[in-house]
Amino acid sequence: MNKITQVGLSLIAILAILLLLVYGLGAANPRFQTGENPLLRFVFVIVGLLVAFVIYFVTRDNPAWEVGTRQVVWMAIGAALYAVFSWLFNGTVFVVPSLSQVALRPAIAIPMFFGYAFGPVVGLFTGAIGNTFGDALTGFGLFPQWSIGNGLVGFIAGLPMLFRDKKKSLDTVLWAGGLLALVAGILYFLNPTQANTLFFDPANNVFGDAQITLFAGISILVGFALVALVRFAFGQNLDIAAAVTWGMLGNILGIGFAAISDIWINGYSPVAAIVGEFLPAAGPNLIFAAILVPLLVVAYSAVQRQSGR
Amino acid sequence: MLVAWRYRKRPNSLIQKFDPRAWLIFYACYLVAVITFWDIRFLLPFFIVALVALLTSGIRWHEIRRAFLFILGFVFFFAILTFLTGRGGMEHYAEEHLLRQFRAPFSIFGWVPTLNITIERIFYALSQLVRVSSLAIMTILIPYSLDPRLYGITFKGLGLSDKIAYAMDLTMRFIPTFSRDFQLTMDAQRARGYELDKIRGGLIEQVRKIGPIFVPVTIHAIIASEDIIDAMDLRAFGVGPRTWLDELKRDFKDRLLIWSGLAVMLISLTVGFFGYGQFWVPEAVIRWAGG
Repeated sequence: MNKITQVGLSLIAILAILLLLVYGLGAANPRFQTGENPLLRFVFVIVGLLVAFVIYFVTRDNPAWEVGTRQVVWMAIGAALYAVFSWLFNGTVFVVPSLSQVALRPAIAIPMFFGYAFGPVVGLFTGAIGNTFGDALTGFGLFPQWSIGNGLVGFIAGLPMLFRDKKKSLDTVLWAGGLLALVAGILYFLNPTQANTLFFDPANNVFGDAQITLFAGISILVGFALVALVRFAFGQNLDIAAAVTWGMLGNILGIGFAAISDIWINGYSPVAAIVGEFLPAAGPNLIFAAILVPLLVVAYSAVQRQSGR
Repeated sequence: MLVAWRYRKRPNSLIQKFDPRAWLIFYACYLVAVITFWDIRFLLPFFIVALVALLTSGIRWHEIRRAFLFILGFVFFFAILTFLTGRGGMEHYAEEHLLRQFRAPFSIFGWVPTLNITIERIFYALSQLVRVSSLAIMTILIPYSLDPRLYGITFKGLGLSDKIAYAMDLTMRFIPTFSRDFQLTMDAQRARGYELDKIRGGLIEQVRKIGPIFVPVTIHAIIASEDIIDAMDLRAFGVGPRTWLDELKRDFKDRLLIWSGLAVMLISLTVGFFGYGQFWVPEAVIRWAGG
């Protein structure tokens, strides 16, 4: 049996275990099926890591997977920056008001940029460890499957390093991301009364049960429009276009993974997970990706030119 | 320049008598055990453990005051808010037993602000307070009692590879440094007239205004990393198995701490799996309330 078959069988076994946990033990003990069961959170951590591992496994000869001194230091810098920015901008230190239920979370640009600039391993570490430290510093508690979701944002943003020609896959990635954004947007229009589970406004006594606003609902479409604009406006600057486009896909898949896991973990309906949780998180992230990631790419290019590295 | 957490060696600290690996394993087990429960009877022993750890840590009040008051203020704020609104507790109880109701003598567009004081809300707020305080106290002790020089060897000793252990080490060291850099950059931009404290305008305008602090801090961190990379390369980092200047030794008391932590975690998970330790209100109090 070759290695790929072995990994495939292992994945099927893990899926079977997951199904057994949810539908087997869940039937005997409801706590295992939904609610705040920590075990299920870690099951999704393993699933998220397996996704990354499978991508690594099938492209393991690619130099993008090498981890040397530079990658170790960049991992640490990315994770520390993500943690610090998450802490500062999560309303505990540097109060940034939310607009029409859209809270500003600019820190998400860090795993996207570090993933794109320094590779998928750096992106994964930056997102996952940075989010964990950020949550710990903020005091909101630890949500491991969301940390892995953030890790996947950085990981997927770093995948263009696997391609010899970054331009080749760019439009496919853009339209795939666009299609996913459109599906999520349509779900919003079909369920406009869904509560925004991420919107907390203690001053007005609102805790995740206010109806999602039109702007929060369509923010993913606004974000996609901005990403597409950057992609075509900076068509000549491949780095900006690729960083923003792959960052968008990473954001949709990574945050989508974390939100969908809450169908099992928190007992959300698919609509609540996608419209009430995914859209208010991933939509604004796309707007930050479209504005802040290009700024970082341009600034980093200038540094590279000056230092010659 | 690296800015360090407020660690210092404390001669009478109980935490510092243990191997940092043993303490971190115990801490991880403690976290898992605490989040398994909502029953205040199960949570109180954990709270007592946290208090013992705090009081024997050797950390003086003036050192920890700011961080402690901030976190406790945060915990109290949310516990009181939960008590006043009843939100969050609905997942844990279906019925509420009213003790007293306060109605405002005015109405806002037909809505009369009403505060219902119920047995369930009181116990839920208390349980939340004990649960989150236990976690917060144990977490806050780590940066004050774990020697930054030992971060790397500790993570290595926990089974991580050299590279990941060193990356974790650097991450923990960089966090206070970048917080300081952020503050410096914000002060510098303020001096140049940027109103970073009061970000106004539309969404895109707000994001654009974040750029002048976000980009310099990030790029400065990347530029500064070159010195660290050079220093590590000069010491042949990653060429072979890494040796560490400091050596950690585990003795009987460390093994005892690890096994105690693992036992508590496993017992808690088993107890929780069989449905014990869920949100609890004393029957006698419910009867007293007329339920």
